[in-house]
Amino acid sequence: MLIQQLANGIAIGSVYALISLGLTMVYGILRILHVAHAGIYALGAYVGWFSFRLIGDFWLSLLIGMAGSALAGYFVQRYLYSPLLHLPRIAPLIVSIGLFIAMEETFRIIAGPHTLTYNARVGLGDLSIGNFQLTETQILILFITGLILVILWAILTRTRTGLAMRACAMDAETTSSFGVNVNAIIAINFLLGSAMAGAAGVLIGVYDNQVWPTMGSIPAYKSLAIVVLGGLGNIPGTVLASLVVGLAETFFIGVVAIPFPRDAVAFIAMILVLMFRPYGLLGKA
Amino acid sequence: MMSGYLITILITVLVYAILAHSLNIITGHAGQISLGHAAFFGIGAYTSALFYTQAGVSFWVAVPLAALVAGLVGIFLGIPCLRVRDDFLAITTMGIGFVVEAIFLYIPFFGGAMGIGGINLPHWFGREMTKSEYFFLILIVFLLLLLLDRRLGRSWIGLAWSSIREDEQAAEAMGVDLVRFKVLAFVLGSSIAGLAGGFYAHFLTFIMPQNFGFGQSIVILCMVVFGGIGTRWGPFLGAIILGVLPEISRPIMEYRTLVYGVLLLAMMRFQPGGLLGEESILPKMLRRFQSHSSEKG
Amino acid sequence: MRRFMYLALWTIFVFLFVGLVQAQDTIKIGFFAPITGPAAADGTSAKHAVELGLKEVNDAGGIKGKKVELIIYDDRLNPQEAVAIANKLIEKDKVVGVVSGSYSGPTRVTAPIFQKAEIPMVAGYAVHPDVTWDPTQKKPNDFIFRNGFLGEVEGAAAAEFAVKNLKAKKISIISMDNDFGRAISAGFAARAEKLGSTILTKQMYKFPGEKDFRPFLTRIKEGNPDLIFAAGYYNEAASIVRQAKELGITAQIMGEEGFDSPKFLEIAGPAAEGVIIATNLDRDDPRPVVQNFLTNYRKAYNEDADMVGASSYDAFMILVDAIKKAGTDPKAIQKALLETKDYNGLTGKISRFIQGEVVKPVQIQVVKGGKFRRLGVVDNPEVITPPLKQ
Repeated sequence: MLIQQLANGIAIGSVYALISLGLTMVYGILRILHVAHAGIYALGAYVGWFSFRLIGDFWLSLLIGMAGSALAGYFVQRYLYSPLLHLPRIAPLIVSIGLFIAMEETFRIIAGPHTLTYNARVGLGDLSIGNFQLTETQILILFITGLILVILWAILTRTRTGLAMRACAMDAETTSSFGVNVNAIIAINFLLGSAMAGAAGVLIGVYDNQVWPTMGSIPAYKSLAIVVLGGLGNIPGTVLASLVVGLAETFFIGVVAIPFPRDAVAFIAMILVLMFRPYGLLGKA
Repeated sequence: MMSGYLITILITVLVYAILAHSLNIITGHAGQISLGHAAFFGIGAYTSALFYTQAGVSFWVAVPLAALVAGLVGIFLGIPCLRVRDDFLAITTMGIGFVVEAIFLYIPFFGGAMGIGGINLPHWFGREMTKSEYFFLILIVFLLLLLLDRRLGRSWIGLAWSSIREDEQAAEAMGVDLVRFKVLAFVLGSSIAGLAGGFYAHFLTFIMPQNFGFGQSIVILCMVVFGGIGTRWGPFLGAIILGVLPEISRPIMEYRTLVYGVLLLAMMRFQPGGLLGEESILPKMLRRFQSHSSEKG
Repeated sequence: MRRFMYLALWTIFVFLFVGLVQAQDTIKIGFFAPITGPAAADGTSAKHAVELGLKEVNDAGGIKGKKVELIIYDDRLNPQEAVAIANKLIEKDKVVGVVSGSYSGPTRVTAPIFQKAEIPMVAGYAVHPDVTWDPTQKKPNDFIFRNGFLGEVEGAAAAEFAVKNLKAKKISIISMDNDFGRAISAGFAARAEKLGSTILTKQMYKFPGEKDFRPFLTRIKEGNPDLIFAAGYYNEAASIVRQAKELGITAQIMGEEGFDSPKFLEIAGPAAEGVIIATNLDRDDPRPVVQNFLTNYRKAYNEDADMVGASSYDAFMILVDAIKKAGTDPKAIQKALLETKDYNGLTGKISRFIQGEVVKPVQIQVVKGGKFRRLGVVDNPEVITPPLKQ
């Protein structure tokens, strides 16, 4: 049973990682608490759902969902965040919250308040060894999270754009003085992060077979907590934090059985870690 | 005699105004972002409700106790907040909000998911207060708080806070005791929020944990920033506008939450300082009007 | 950009004024539900069903020649908005009665206000016991009536069926952590233990939004129960039955009225087969009031009705019935409601109200061929009579 719980923890941890990775990327450069990331995540799920209804192919709907989210992310960055970057950070935070509320309501008005089912078959088949089960969507989420990590790592360490991104994350002004088009870098970064949110939306929509207007509400704060726990802007830290939170929640619910809600467990873990490492698990001052 | 409907809205707005002012002390004056302010609102409401319903303590004692307890918890929870800064602080306070809500929800002593009912309006002169009288009571308290706010702003405490807000390291180098002044801001802000919680519980007569969750913290923060963070009248104005908006937008029914979100977004995008912020339209117009009339005079 | 802003502002104002143009000599009934915000799905179902009832009443000529007018407000699941709504309904709209299509939180705060103003309210599906009870005075709110079951009653009825008919000896409980989940699982546990069964585990999950039940279910699987009683709403319920199946759990799953939505069947898919629920709506009931409602709802909104809608429809119709008998004086309506006897409701025949609580049989349904079908009825008076509050 402990092994099954371990698998449960890793599965939910990779779900968290999938949602949080894009957020931590965006934070790394813009330094905005991008609450509306969860709105872009839900948008991806809706766009994917809609295209799945039209086309009927899961993989294509995944790509379209990602494209939709990337596009929305670009506009958000270009027209809402960029003009506010020189201001105290609370201004873009409130813009982000307002945008998130407006997005949730728009989904409800356009697609209706009820849950939609995203009943796509991926075609991988479930994995079952004795008492130990993983479903095909769980495998897919693990796989795609891994794939995204590899791609990110490749972009960041093997391409000029990646180098520019890392430079921007450290010091945008200096990077700009070396002739790098910082605005373009910010845009690419946001496109990538938002596409990841879209992928997460589609995958989790299929995983739960549910797409609904407020599906971003919990990810909105949960992923912020995870990103902070990992050390804001730190990509390996975010993956580590996702797994820590997923495993901690599963362990306390399923093994220790303390009667405390999941979120509180996650936040207690986060606050404790921050007391000892004020910049997160892998963050630096 | 005002109608009960109007009074209800006025009381709601006043409670929010007190909350917005209390958060303005922490976030506006001392510059410490808090995303979990509703926790202290809830601690006040629960303290007052429990003393009133369980211990039979009267309203007049229960509500000050609410402020006291919220302030004490504010010290206790303010300490972990000293370890972290900026966005880490924002998320830590958010976490505190969730943990406090969970405690209300999971510990049977606090009534759990069933909440606490039977919290009535205060008695005086041998009868229950009317809602209008209750409104004036809260109004007086609010005006006193405004006076306090004004005095603080002019005192060396206010100066210390603004130095921390502008540049923490520089303030420390100048000999400002960071721990002391940050904790002071947290305690003051928390206890005033607790006071608001006490008033709220007796007005609503029934409270449950969900009233004091993350969403409520966001509402309070939005009021402060919308009106103009760090300004004297901004939080009040924000509380009025965002408190009344859901009521006056009733006829548009399905779209009213959308309008709320869009308004918030558009406002911060085009007037990021808030309605009464330095660079915003309203104060500019006011200044132009003043200089115009002084030229004439 | 600026032009767009002006346009947006004007649109808002136009909307605001459109809503103000109303009036005439009608019978006004108030209604509130969470039409926007996190519970918008249930609020919309409730609103749709009540509007259907309104159309039926008015198409049939209204009440004694007068049209019924429904004043609808959105409470966003926010209690302080509900307080304002209650005051507005009483003072500005001058309604003769109110229907709540909302959850416990908003309904609970409005109850004392309507009680004080002596305006009758019928709650569709709010479960908090204090909706119909004044905890300070220790007496019933005698202007408030509830069409849904008390959580304890429905839970006990589910236990009655689980132990007596399904012969469940070892039971695990997983419940949503709000007043609904708590009340219903407490009622279930008490009755099941009284009938001699053992409760292996009791677990709570966060509401709303919990989606990962694997840690809970893996723990349940360890105890190898005969039956799992799950208290929650349909989104969470669907995830529970899906994930239970994925984990290879074979125990019978039993739910309650929160499962009772076509959405549950759609989301859970094949995993829903064989799930048994205790509810108040019997879709196989041949009475025309049931069949007409199901058909008309489908026709009007292009989707199937759920329990929330059916309960709110009933609440509205119970109020209309009382107005038909007693006229438009709120006190007379309250008297007519108190005297309700053998009312032929959509969600069952209501024999009477005790302390505002409905007395009617609890329906047991099973999912068969992707549909809810009748499995049994619990009408043991020991179980379905609401316990007297004191």
